Amino acid sequence: MIPAPTRYARATDLDDALELLAEPDAKAIAGGQSLIPVMKLRIARPSLVVDISRLDLRGVTERDGELHVGPLTTWDELVGSAQLERPALAALVECARGIGDLQVRNLGTIGGSVVHADPASDIPAVLLALGARLRLRSPDGERDLAVSDALVGPFTTALEAQELVTDIAIPVPPQGSGSAYACVEHPASGFALAGAAVLVTPDGETVAFTGIGAAPFVLRDGLADVEIFGDRFAPAEYRRELAGVVAERARTMARERAKADR
Amino acid sequence: MSDVIGVARPRIDAPDKVTGATRYAADGYVHGLLHARPVLASEAHARLRGFDTDAALAVPGVVAVLTAADLPLATTGTDRTSEPLAREEVVFAGQPVALVIAETEASAEDAAELVVVDYEPLDAVVDVEAAMEPGVPLARVVEESDDEGADLESVHAQVDEGQEDDAAEQLSGNVLDRVTREHGDVAAAFAASDVVVEGTFRTPWVYQAYIEPQVCTAWLEPSGALVVSTSTQGSFVTRRELARAFDLPLERVRVIAEPLGGAFGGKFALVEPLAVGAALALRRPVRLVLTRSEDFAATNPASAQVTHLKLGARADGTFTGIEARMIVDRGTNAGWGVEGGTSLLVAGPYRWQAHDLRGYGVQTNRFTFGAYRAPGAPTAAYALESLLDELAQALDLDPIELRLKNAVVEGDVGVSGNPFPTIGAVEVLERLREHPLWAQRNSLPEDEGVGMAAGHWPGAMEPASAICRVDADGTMTVVTSVADMSGVNSGFAVIAAAAFGLRPDQVRVVTADTASAPYAGASGGSKITYTVGPAVLRAAEAAREKLLAAASQELEIAPDDLEVVDGVVQAVGSPDRSITVQEVASKALRFGGRYEPIEGHGGSAQTSGAPSVAAHLSHVRVDRETGEVTVLRHVIAQDVGRALNPALVEGQMLGGAAQGIGWALYEQLDHDEDGRLLTGSFLDYAIPRAEHIPEIDTLIVEVPAPDGPFGAKGIGEAPVVGAPAAVANAVARAAGTRLYELPMTPPRVWKALRS
Repeated sequence: MIPAPTRYARATDLDDALELLAEPDAKAIAGGQSLIPVMKLRIARPSLVVDISRLDLRGVTERDGELHVGPLTTWDELVGSAQLERPALAALVECARGIGDLQVRNLGTIGGSVVHADPASDIPAVLLALGARLRLRSPDGERDLAVSDALVGPFTTALEAQELVTDIAIPVPPQGSGSAYACVEHPASGFALAGAAVLVTPDGETVAFTGIGAAPFVLRDGLADVEIFGDRFAPAEYRRELAGVVAERARTMARERAKADR
Repeated sequence: MSDVIGVARPRIDAPDKVTGATRYAADGYVHGLLHARPVLASEAHARLRGFDTDAALAVPGVVAVLTAADLPLATTGTDRTSEPLAREEVVFAGQPVALVIAETEASAEDAAELVVVDYEPLDAVVDVEAAMEPGVPLARVVEESDDEGADLESVHAQVDEGQEDDAAEQLSGNVLDRVTREHGDVAAAFAASDVVVEGTFRTPWVYQAYIEPQVCTAWLEPSGALVVSTSTQGSFVTRRELARAFDLPLERVRVIAEPLGGAFGGKFALVEPLAVGAALALRRPVRLVLTRSEDFAATNPASAQVTHLKLGARADGTFTGIEARMIVDRGTNAGWGVEGGTSLLVAGPYRWQAHDLRGYGVQTNRFTFGAYRAPGAPTAAYALESLLDELAQALDLDPIELRLKNAVVEGDVGVSGNPFPTIGAVEVLERLREHPLWAQRNSLPEDEGVGMAAGHWPGAMEPASAICRVDADGTMTVVTSVADMSGVNSGFAVIAAAAFGLRPDQVRVVTADTASAPYAGASGGSKITYTVGPAVLRAAEAAREKLLAAASQELEIAPDDLEVVDGVVQAVGSPDRSITVQEVASKALRFGGRYEPIEGHGGSAQTSGAPSVAAHLSHVRVDRETGEVTVLRHVIAQDVGRALNPALVEGQMLGGAAQGIGWALYEQLDHDEDGRLLTGSFLDYAIPRAEHIPEIDTLIVEVPAPDGPFGAKGIGEAPVVGAPAAVANAVARAAGTRLYELPMTPPRVWKALRS
């Protein structure tokens, strides 16, 4: 469990980080809760590890009807954030609280989790249901990318190699909204066998899933048409049924919360 | 004495362990140490054609890449001690095939992945039932199986050989062993039964999941003597195995059993031959610390098992016949398997009029079978106790009453043909019946259920000895060779303190190495307290005689009129006429002293076993939508003979119950059809976590063992035996359907609910 040889550099600011990431096999590290394990297994072997953990990209603020979550915000900071104490955003806290253990939640970051793009990771489902966007920065400038466009496959995103998330923007749902996250975990890894996030607003409902496909996704039509992932432990037919169950559970909670928000 | 035995107190090793002061086998500083990393086979079954080690050897810091031919082995056997690196034939994916030795662990790891192994793939035998059919491919084709390591079995349990096998049965060469136990006419017994139930029960390979992976450091003294510092359950058995493998005189091998970071049956001379072989080949100290992934892939977990079981009973609940066909997957272990033990234990602590019990040890290309807490017992109890619940249901009898009606008492002849010694089956079941949860079982919500099950472990025996030495400060040191597993050293402290007349905090316990320790067997089979305990008791009594002889002269009182209380020797009835142990000892331990040192040696050779019975209640909730099972509450009642330290006894009961819940709901080493391990890390292999284990009530039952120290029995293994079955019976109640395979994972429960 010793990673392959690698070099380490701590980025002083965002531009410095982007410059360091110009090296082809460089990899940014924040909390390290996803990257370090795969490095120890030698699945990831970056030539250079660029430490971005001290960049000023942390915390939750609200402006112009949007919530802005810094990508370096840890799970524990999300759990304790006063800005998230409202029924419409309850899914974020619910999800963050269920991740790993306290040590993991003290180090793991929301941005790191999104770009790691584990197909069974919890938070992307919540961000998808809430319609979140990523603000990305590269040496060429800035662009915005919906989370739904960012997640393209297992451990694969639409981000360029020399591109970092600088902000996660979440539209604050209108009064009378509620959200919830429900999942059934793999008993070993704790990752979702099926997870569902639901946002209920006065205008309608959005359901997003994780754990059952190549990447987390927003449900457009019925589950029946969706191709479901399966493996020896949890076959596709089981996950399909589970997806319906967790979606219903999240929907029920989200509706209750929406009522409480009136 | 009454304030020493039976008082709950912390383990004597606890302060060092919780403060990080304990020095484990991976921690010791050795000058000039080299680090080893194994190269593990990627194929489950293959002929080894060769290696390309050039790239590995080019890594800076790499000293050598060793293959089987480089190790100075004297044996040709196929057991893991004799063949630590595969010679010609790889027999499981994860088998060590080469060892990279480097100045740093990182260099060794960098180089290990550069070793290229040339395999000629052979048919992998992974289905244990198919492996028995005549004419199927064999799990070993190049090298002959042998059983050089066979007597490793003896450290775990006393199991007889069984009777003559059925010569007419046609089986493949993968069947390495058959055990047959027959008595009476089973067919007639079934015919005379009012109810007959049967079923086939499957359990997977299960990993011991000790916290500390396997580790060993070996070096040569300038004299050429070999020193082995290792995480092992038995120093003498390791010395014997190493001396055999490398053809060394016993006195040239010194094995140090370092503090164990968990073992549960899995630490017996498995990695030692690798470190020793490298140290002997290179004449430099070598340390091998397995990573968790290597420990998963390369070690010796518990066998998978398939049990076909059939039971009969009369309408009044009297058991009639029992018939079992038990297939044990030994993996690559040609030396021993649990088919003997499991086909004995499947009868449970119950009386049967007739039995026909058959065990089959079958080789496959999966792991090397090893011991795990009560080998063969949880799997047997899972089948038996599940069917007993079916029997109770069919007969409309209370499950505890049904078991009580048939529970053995002392003198009842078991399926081994021998009478049971003192056994607390009835007492344990009666105690469990009193627990309020049992009365509540019929008034639970629809998705909940309470199940019960019992299990027992026969215990084991081996001659043992111990030394008790009093120092000039009046404290005592107990010296044994015992690896401190499950808190046995803490038990020795109270035994010695009570027998001698000290407070337990005045007694230290030392695990000495094979160069200096008195003999004892390995920590396994629940035999240490029962066999070494009496040796410690007698050693303390012998030391006390020396003490009293000296004190008698000092006080001018006959020894018979003296007593020892909390470190003071005093006249019986006149405690003011006294002398402290410290004073007597300091008078003995000095130049010109007139008394013999206050020391004693004690030995034991137990001949009568002390089985322990444990019974469980498990209360579960089944989520009918997701198949998830939550254990809400668990109760364990166990006959421990005498609880020398109830805190440690309860710890064993809690740990056994928790591991049993692991068997029931979580744990499974799974391979693909080519024999490659799919669940080789804690990301894939689930064990119960703190959040999965409910409140567990421990009910200590004390039916003293006539030959045990203060009546104590070996208690480490019995608590796991019945736990999986109790959870299974609870799930069967809550789900309204029974699962015949462990673990009862959410997808399996979900599927069962739908079928």
